[in-house]
Amino acid sequence: MPALRRLTPLLWLGPAIALIGVVVLWPVVVMVQSSFQNIGGDGFVVGYDGTDDFRTLFDEPDFISVLERTVLWVVIVVAVTVLISLALAQLFNQTFPGRTVTRWALIIPWAASVMMTALIFRWALDPNVGVINVILHHLGVVKHLGSSQAYWLGNPTSALAWMMAVAVFVSLPFTTYAILSGLQGIPGDVYEAAAIDGATSWKGYLAVTLPLLRPAILVATLINVINVFNSFPIIWEMTRGGPGYETATSTIFMVELKQGNVGESAAMSVINFLLVIVIVVVYLGTTRWKEQVDR
Amino acid sequence: MKKKIASRFWGGIALAAVAALALAGCGSSGSSSGAAAGGTTTLKLVVADYGTGPANASAKYWGTIITAFEASHPSIKVNVTSIPWTNFDQQVQTMIQNKQYPDITEGDYFSNYAQQGLLYSASDVLSDPGNLLPAFKAQGTYNGVQYGMPFTTSSRTLFYNKKLFAQAGIMTAPKTWADVEADAAKIKKLGKIGFGLPLGSEEAQAESMLWMLGDGGGYQTAGKYTINSPANVEAFTFLKGMVAAGDTEPDPGTVDRTPLWEQFAQGSIGMINGSPALIPIIQSAGVLKAADWTSVPIAGKAGPLTTTLGVCDNVAAFKPNGHEAQIKEFLDFAYQDKYQLAFDNEYDLLPATTTAAKALASNPVFAPFLTALPNSVQYPSDTAWANVKTKIQDTIGTAVTGSPTTVLSQLEQASTTAS
Repeated sequence: MPALRRLTPLLWLGPAIALIGVVVLWPVVVMVQSSFQNIGGDGFVVGYDGTDDFRTLFDEPDFISVLERTVLWVVIVVAVTVLISLALAQLFNQTFPGRTVTRWALIIPWAASVMMTALIFRWALDPNVGVINVILHHLGVVKHLGSSQAYWLGNPTSALAWMMAVAVFVSLPFTTYAILSGLQGIPGDVYEAAAIDGATSWKGYLAVTLPLLRPAILVATLINVINVFNSFPIIWEMTRGGPGYETATSTIFMVELKQGNVGESAAMSVINFLLVIVIVVVYLGTTRWKEQVDR
Repeated sequence: MKKKIASRFWGGIALAAVAALALAGCGSSGSSSGAAAGGTTTLKLVVADYGTGPANASAKYWGTIITAFEASHPSIKVNVTSIPWTNFDQQVQTMIQNKQYPDITEGDYFSNYAQQGLLYSASDVLSDPGNLLPAFKAQGTYNGVQYGMPFTTSSRTLFYNKKLFAQAGIMTAPKTWADVEADAAKIKKLGKIGFGLPLGSEEAQAESMLWMLGDGGGYQTAGKYTINSPANVEAFTFLKGMVAAGDTEPDPGTVDRTPLWEQFAQGSIGMINGSPALIPIIQSAGVLKAADWTSVPIAGKAGPLTTTLGVCDNVAAFKPNGHEAQIKEFLDFAYQDKYQLAFDNEYDLLPATTTAAKALASNPVFAPFLTALPNSVQYPSDTAWANVKTKIQDTIGTAVTGSPTTVLSQLEQASTTAS
């Protein structure tokens, strides 16, 4: 009987473990397996081909530039998102008339489908009739509608800048709420103590608020890094990674490769997966998350 | 407090990991469509959309056929899915990669499906396969057996806006590359786009081939890929000059065919290579009158092309669901002359069967296109083409802003690896 009783926790943990096994672990196994197989565009497994898929991938002329762009994309989008969210969370933590309504409004970019948001921005940036271009034209920023200046998504640099802006826009709600909940967890007496010690509001923010927010910022950053790294709909809907692969991140590149060579695409997925793990481990290491979370 | 954060933390990690994996491309497997209860078979028909809006969507055209077919064949149901051209190849390919096989597709066909043994041959599923236009037999043939069955055909011509030409003081139709360049520069001065060059992923392979043909080039020479041949490099070097001079729309490598055709229909483009499918777009836009535009043979380096790119869209019948008899019933029904002609009248495309072509031979609009079809040049039809075509669509547009030699050599490299 006691032996059986010891197994009862399994009853509660079992479904969760099974779910993780089927939804998380098994796909990882299949992904790694596929990356060592010869699978063409039709999805037929011809057999194992050793490291051929990886070699083909590394020989892609665009491989290195895609990886560099991915890093740039993640760093800029996450950094800007967190900075703006810190300010927004501070704002929403104040009491002001209409706070409830504005807090709700902040959810909208999150609630709307990212693909829809990306499509709306693509049309708003249309060189001839897009609303953003029309406004910029009236302001005199864009000299001629339909010119290459108005074609933001045609030039890799401006296209990336716009897509980063959209990525920040859709990442703000989650990040702001994560930080806001952190802010609300800071007791008021800490600030009183700081004020008595003569801290100005800016000093109080740096010395009290930010350190106490570290766990919240940590979680928000980490989840954003993973999300933004794998971000697919924005780039896919706005440029499809074009011209060429010049605005593709590794996730987009993986999808483009999948059409012709599933094995090579799986190899790209494995690299992606390893990169995410490395980023997470390095980030957790440098922020000494255990101290933060266990404190 | 700390426990709460910790659990939220791990919950977040788990969630993010799931999301990451879902996006890392682990396709789902699903059930395939099959025979339903009660002796009724459901056929899954996947078609490309040729329409310009809801009024003439392809689903509507097929709906008419299906209604008539189901009335006379009560034991067979047909479910139609229509997919826009920009996504057609990819979505069909994803269905096949995930083993969710359609029964019939109408759109692009690739010989690698035949190579994998996925397809019924034309003689399996058509009572009279000999009625398909012989000119397109080779492109649908793999190992001596025809699998790709042409359903509609078209050929390419150069469309130009006569109104803009008159405003710019141009008297004659463009015949050579030099004409195109000079005329485009004059039209650009009117504040319009001189030449519409759609090298975005939608159909870059067609536009590119038209320019390659202009210099005697092409994707293949004697069955071998020669994408970086001197003639092709010269063609793209010429295009690069046009782009640099601003004679085309900005950044052609990211511009798709459909939006550019619509802009031509709006009267803001001087010249563009088009197929008869551009005609309904011009008509529905209502900006250009019949006298405001015309189409002529494609301009080549030294003179108009005597051959052009002949494109056909194919029907392919898939084996895995085992519906051979039902597919044959449906295809025999759908290939009737009246439906071929209805399709051609709806979308201004050309028929794909000999009997339907005969019925149209006296039609003044279609006759010139029809006589040109037997001499047309077609895309490669080997098993590497599906892969090569994707690469061309993704990257060839960068040849007119970057280095033509580098881009075409990379494509040649990719095509020899794929062959």
